[in-house]
Amino acid sequence: MSGFTISRRKMLAGSAILLASTAMPNFGWAQTPKKGGRLVLAADSEPRNLNPAIVASNGVFFISSKIVETLAEASFDGKDGLAPRLALGWEGAADGLSATFKLRDGVRWHDGKPFTSADVAFSALQIWKPLQNLGRTVFKDLASVETPDDLTAVFRFAKPTPFQLIRNALPALSSVVPKHIYEVGKIEDNPANTAPIGTGPFKFGEYKAGQYYRLTKNTDYWGKDEPYLDEIIYQVLPDRTSAASALEAEEIQLAAFSAVPLADLDRISRVPGLKVITKGYEGLTYQLVVEINHRRKELADLKVRRAIAHAIDKDFVVKTVFLGYAATATGPVPKNDPQFYTADVPTYAFDVAKANALLDEAGYKKGADGNRFSLRLLPAPYFNETKQFGDYLRQALAAIGIDAQLVNNDSAAHIKAVYTDHAFDLAVGPPVFRGDPAISTTILVQSGIPDGVPFSNQGGYKNDALDALIAKASETLDTSARTDLYKEFQKEVAADLPLINVAEWSFISVARDTVGNIANNPRWAVSNWADTYLAG
Amino acid sequence: MSPARRFLRTPEAVAGAILLAALIAMALVALLFPGDPQAIAGPALLPPFQDWSLPLGTDRLGRDVLAELFHGARASLAVGLAAAAAALAIGSVVGTLAGFAGGLVDEVLMRITDAFQTVPSFLLALAFVSVVGPSLGVVVIAIALGTWPGPARIARAEVLSIRERDYVASARAIGMHPLEIAFREVLPNALPPVLAMSSVIVAAAILTEAALSFLGLGDPNRVTWGGMIAEGRAVLRTAPFLSIVPGIALVLTVLGVYLAGEGIVETTAVRRGLS
Repeated sequence: MSGFTISRRKMLAGSAILLASTAMPNFGWAQTPKKGGRLVLAADSEPRNLNPAIVASNGVFFISSKIVETLAEASFDGKDGLAPRLALGWEGAADGLSATFKLRDGVRWHDGKPFTSADVAFSALQIWKPLQNLGRTVFKDLASVETPDDLTAVFRFAKPTPFQLIRNALPALSSVVPKHIYEVGKIEDNPANTAPIGTGPFKFGEYKAGQYYRLTKNTDYWGKDEPYLDEIIYQVLPDRTSAASALEAEEIQLAAFSAVPLADLDRISRVPGLKVITKGYEGLTYQLVVEINHRRKELADLKVRRAIAHAIDKDFVVKTVFLGYAATATGPVPKNDPQFYTADVPTYAFDVAKANALLDEAGYKKGADGNRFSLRLLPAPYFNETKQFGDYLRQALAAIGIDAQLVNNDSAAHIKAVYTDHAFDLAVGPPVFRGDPAISTTILVQSGIPDGVPFSNQGGYKNDALDALIAKASETLDTSARTDLYKEFQKEVAADLPLINVAEWSFISVARDTVGNIANNPRWAVSNWADTYLAG
Repeated sequence: MSPARRFLRTPEAVAGAILLAALIAMALVALLFPGDPQAIAGPALLPPFQDWSLPLGTDRLGRDVLAELFHGARASLAVGLAAAAAALAIGSVVGTLAGFAGGLVDEVLMRITDAFQTVPSFLLALAFVSVVGPSLGVVVIAIALGTWPGPARIARAEVLSIRERDYVASARAIGMHPLEIAFREVLPNALPPVLAMSSVIVAAAILTEAALSFLGLGDPNRVTWGGMIAEGRAVLRTAPFLSIVPGIALVLTVLGVYLAGEGIVETTAVRRGLS
């Protein structure tokens, strides 16, 4: 094994110093990134399509962000919260009609072809705008991409588009794929969707269904001395209880995305050699939301919605369902968002008496059996926590005389029932806040969204004032004016309750002590891991 | 010796009867147990024997495990008995018709029975519940769907021998309608061996219901033991009692049903042998 690594290192130009340093005994070198090694980690799902330019979701990014890179990545201390990746610089025109990206020089695709602005133009126009789940909204007004030279891409918009939005969208939405691979045949059927080719620090190795994904080191990576790891193995462990045991048995070195159940964290944090890390997911905040079907006449009444909000003990939810690994929510933007969050919104304290009074006032008196009315409650099945919150919500509603009947579905049936058939009264959903309300938050309350779009307003809610506010914000170019409009938006949502935001949470990683450079950016689990290393 | 005394002389039967009686008592007490078993009663994940108002502790949301256990007994028993009754009813009717009519009817009914028997009954239940949607009634039908072929085959075999008996011939001679003969003369006499299967079927039905609930396909609005085990699985390392307590209840119930059933079969078999 070591002979193999050294011969590989010799292939790297100018590695004499490096060779000298790694040849030394590595006692006390924990802080210095060490080269080589294989990182084995738990993967709980097996996405079929691994093309992050088409499917911008965390399950896909988790694997493919190491292979296919974006123009920029989120950063704790970079300007505008960004760090350069394939783009070195970006600037928006004052009229909002163009944005210019300066690209990195000397970058090569995994098949050896050079990366140029033509690849960016192709990805943006042929994939992000027409095909990508999130890009469809953000890049809807993108008209053309000019490529004056190989290292400059100028995005032209048909209508003024706030550059703040484009900037905030870069980490998740701007995965660049090779034009020369994708220009042949239908993009959706391209073989590179399952065996991606990118510019990232790791190349796609192989995938064995039900067993593992293997990524291998890209020896031609643009980052100096990077990547440090030789290989990354995603061990498929669909059973959430097995990740903790695999970590303890040293079969895996990392379990990200809360693969270890929250209830096990306290115990596992005391196991020598393992550490529990809550950082590194700041840019991936999930929101626990009660989705409301406003077609039900009871739920169309604001008093009833307010009563439900008062009936939910958010502190109990954070403490019991999330065991403290979450924060209570006040509105549609999470508290940890540095740009848009405002605390200045109407709030609903936990108050069962008030909730009962509101329902009485609304004219829904308790019947002989103590119930006012009954409704269907559909908790999303994706997380243990959404299901448990469903159980809690049923009890919380029982306390105010609403008889909620739980309906459990698998993922596909849940999406169909809620977002296509509208066969729900209340649903528990986990939408994601992606750094800008315009990316995936405003569609949760906006009207006029076609049936069948998942994680959008399918509750039949229509509020002209709110729609106007969203429309105005989407074309306001000035960053601070735009931010103020979204603060207004939060107030309006919290006042009219098209949905009820209960809590905000993110994920937890558990890793062995030897894994270095963990959680060093706000989207760490879905970033490129070029600087991740294994010590000892 | 009377059958009752013979029953009481068999230690397994007595043990089974006691377990079963305890289970029925639990189910009945649950009727008197005040309020909703899923109400949040205390702090979450309280271990057993810490607080005597919550003797078996609480689950992840702070629900009383003892109350859930008692209500779970009701669900398990209800599903077990209803599914077994449905399976026996369908099975004996189909078996009697097939055996008594013979010919084409027999062929068709038995091929249908074969078809059901070749599909693993648990898979059938799983598929049925995932398509129709989980609720207690659906779970009962799903389990009955997979279990009726057994009783049907036994009933048919019995009917084949009974239909040649003299009293059947005389019933024919006095001009009784064939269906009347089948269900008034033949079926009652064919039932004992079919009923002997009931304990096994009830036990299997309780286990199947628990397995379905464990996989998240039980009625989410009712407490079931399988559902409790599934809930506890996420915290197996930190709060194993959440899975162990309903697990033990399940084992004892199935054992009780089986032993008591065996006891009854043994007693009646001896009586038949003596007469």
